[in-house]
Amino acid sequence: MIRFENIEKKYPDGTIALQDINITVPKGQFCVLLGHSGAGKSTLLRLVNGLITPSSGRTVVDKTELSKRTIRSVRRRVSMMHQEFNLVKRSSVAVNVMSGSLAEVNFLTSLIGWFPKDIRRKCCELVHRVGLGEEHLHRRVDHLSGGQQQRVGIARALILDPVVVLADEPVASLDPSASHEILALLRSLSKEHGCTVLCSLHQVDFARRFGDRIVGLEQGQVVFDLDPDKVDQQALNLIYANYDDPHGQETVRAARVENVVDTGVKRP
Amino acid sequence: MKEKARSPEKWDLAPPYGAKTVLVVIAVFMLLSVSARHSEVDRMLYLLGEAGGKVVGLSDSSQVVRGAERVVESMFPPKISEQTPVARIEGFDRDNLPLFSRVEEETITVTRFDVSAMETVETEETREILVQPFGYLQYVMRKMLETIEIALWATIIAILLSIPLAYYAASNYSPNRATYGAARSLVSFFRAVPELISAMFLVLAFGFGPIAGILALGIHSAGFLGKFYAEDIENADKGPQEALQAIGASKIKILRYAVLPQVLPQYLAYSMYILDRNVRMATVIGIVGAGGIGQELIGRYDMFDYGHVATILIMIFITVLLLDQIASRVRARLI
Repeated sequence: MIRFENIEKKYPDGTIALQDINITVPKGQFCVLLGHSGAGKSTLLRLVNGLITPSSGRTVVDKTELSKRTIRSVRRRVSMMHQEFNLVKRSSVAVNVMSGSLAEVNFLTSLIGWFPKDIRRKCCELVHRVGLGEEHLHRRVDHLSGGQQQRVGIARALILDPVVVLADEPVASLDPSASHEILALLRSLSKEHGCTVLCSLHQVDFARRFGDRIVGLEQGQVVFDLDPDKVDQQALNLIYANYDDPHGQETVRAARVENVVDTGVKRP
Repeated sequence: MKEKARSPEKWDLAPPYGAKTVLVVIAVFMLLSVSARHSEVDRMLYLLGEAGGKVVGLSDSSQVVRGAERVVESMFPPKISEQTPVARIEGFDRDNLPLFSRVEEETITVTRFDVSAMETVETEETREILVQPFGYLQYVMRKMLETIEIALWATIIAILLSIPLAYYAASNYSPNRATYGAARSLVSFFRAVPELISAMFLVLAFGFGPIAGILALGIHSAGFLGKFYAEDIENADKGPQEALQAIGASKIKILRYAVLPQVLPQYLAYSMYILDRNVRMATVIGIVGAGGIGQELIGRYDMFDYGHVATILIMIFITVLLLDQIASRVRARLI
């Protein structure tokens, strides 16, 4: 369960990243944050594990209010996936997945690269669950494809049985079919483990298909908060009205074509 | 609001350099010519020209060529054998001679002053000597090995010292500004003291021998490694570090799992370079008494045994050449 109460975030240069955010994400929900770049999606996600502290307001994660004192214990229950995967490129798949458990394992044994048996077993199980094989365990991460790397990212995020998974544009650097697979996998695994997922996306169709709920963000404010099937063009215009959206804004595209015709340029 | 764009013909694209640059170049040139007179660069060029003239037969005499000829003459041939009078060897075992060696008899003329007759008497005496045709070469090889060992231990000490130094000297991991500043200045200090100077003082403290050499080289190269390591930590990809920070890993664990794998090949390359450099420096610091082949070199040099000096120099040259080859191969495999 995640609850944002009256969150406001101002950066030192005066930009307002978030304003008046009141959202409660119940346990087990797959909640999608939708918005263009700079709308505040990443900032909101990073509030949950304290990578960013709000200027005012409270964040409550799994009945614990986030503060300097509780940040370590919250981070143990919250895991994160990243747009650029943020895996250690030169390390093997196994080490990357097991490094997700670093908050829990013994300090000295982890320094010599040793992980306890249950973590190793869990790692194998998860690598299998995300669709990779035994032959991938010792392969270097940078020798994998983007989709496979994000699968490793999912396995790393799930190794400590988190309560919350934060996914910061997990498919933004993947092609559409890989994106589809990754989101389906994330959804099914999180439902299976019963984790709450807060996932930022900018593809409307993916948000509709995989979200239990879609929260639209625009200039740091929530502009709609609806069930996926209730998100219509009217709602989408609230986030995309002022922008040339590359993801399926027919009206904008049509307007561009008209312009080209008007200026008399011949199209090939 | 954005300013209205100007039309291209009014754009300002200045030429790459102007009068100011020319003036600066002239000023630099004048400063250099003043400095050249100070440091006798003009005389150096004159002497080199003269030597070149002598070599191609344009001038009759050259001070430089004469000096070089003298050096080559006195160093040739390099001395590789060793002869020791048997009487001077403690516990000499006739049945168990060292490798390649033989015992020879030698007749020498001994001049004595006979007190009773009040005159000098020349008598012929025979004595046994142990001849080792490669004796000196073997000795130099042993000394070279000692030198390499000094370099190796100096590098190990440098690595061990520089790991904590790098942690505190990396701005993104140092606990606070004070530790960062302290570590940075310590690293600079280590680098600023030339190893020959610190070896001189360490010899006073620890006595002649390899200890002073190991410490002097170790501290100096810890300065280099600390700086290199710290900069690599600062420049490492931030993504994996943020990922591990987000799941609550401690700083040391983040360093171990997100930074170390990234920087390790680079670290090994630096350490190889430092080892290479330490071997070269270890041959030199023996000159102030800090062990290794340099100690032998300076002793022979002071006794005008230029044949021995030649052997040592050739040995150093071969060793450095070999190490260079090995190092570049290892480095190529690591990166």
